Amino acid sequence: MIKSESSKFNKPLYILYPGDYFATKDDCVLGTVAGSCLCVCLYDKVRGIGGMGLFIVPGGIGTEGIVMSDIARSGITSMEYLMGELVKQGGDRRYVRAKIFGAGYTGNGVGTELIEANIRFIHEYFTLENIQVERSDLGGDFRRRLYFVPREGTVYRQILKNNEEASEFTKLEKEYIDTEFRSKKRVGRIVLFE
Amino acid sequence: MDNKYIMIIDDSPTIRISVEFAVKKMGYPIQQAENGEDALEKIKEIKSQGGDVAICICDINMPQMDGIAFIKEFKKTDKFTPVIVLTTESEDGKIKEGKEAGASGWIVKPFQPADLVQVVQKFLKV
Repeated sequence: MIKSESSKFNKPLYILYPGDYFATKDDCVLGTVAGSCLCVCLYDKVRGIGGMGLFIVPGGIGTEGIVMSDIARSGITSMEYLMGELVKQGGDRRYVRAKIFGAGYTGNGVGTELIEANIRFIHEYFTLENIQVERSDLGGDFRRRLYFVPREGTVYRQILKNNEEASEFTKLEKEYIDTEFRSKKRVGRIVLFE
Repeated sequence: MDNKYIMIIDDSPTIRISVEFAVKKMGYPIQQAENGEDALEKIKEIKSQGGDVAICICDINMPQMDGIAFIKEFKKTDKFTPVIVLTTESEDGKIKEGKEAGASGWIVKPFQPADLVQVVQKFLKV
């Protein structure tokens, strides 16, 4: 993630890359380009705190559902990181609303099955969490440039039909997805005190 | 075992369901709580009905009362019941804080159900 200034919004701008997550109560803008990754924007509408996460669930999910799936567990953890940051900023899950974007067929080697698994994952996740999804804009054969104002919960979306318009993100997303697929480590560390 | 509960304390229903699924085969009754405050109330209720807590599996980042505050409060009246932390927090400083509060172990998410069961079994001395 990098921090800059947005002349368009006249606010600090945080640019998130695939694998990043960030939550804040500051008056700023969070921006990214979502290709095949899921981009989740969460905000606590009561407290004016919001956050964004950009990730992919690296594989298919069977009929067992997301709770039982090892692959889906990595997606659940990505959501936990984002929600954890939001809670640390003072957010409360009971007042959180979601806006979800991405999972596009963008010709980067991510197949239909995987895209569908990601779409299924994110819908199942929010159903289990009982969190209202105010906007779901998933799929399609394009990337999305997104700007999220966390204090307001407002998202501005621009469709990018041409990969060259986001060549940096395209490259970074491909690297991120390749790494996620290669990664065998799907467990965190365990420390016992006694 | 009938009246000794495994407490699962996490603000995420998805995580509570995952953890319950992992540990339910152990045969203990299970009680879920959404945060530290909710857990303390439910533990009080269990004890008032003659039950007890076998072990707590507790998240850190939760609204109202977080995991560290819960462990400190819980340990004031129950020094010996183990508390296992299950969290996305992996910084050494935070882990040390958990240990000082009285936690028995720290598991960083994502977790494998079999690993969690193994840790719980170790502290329950099954």
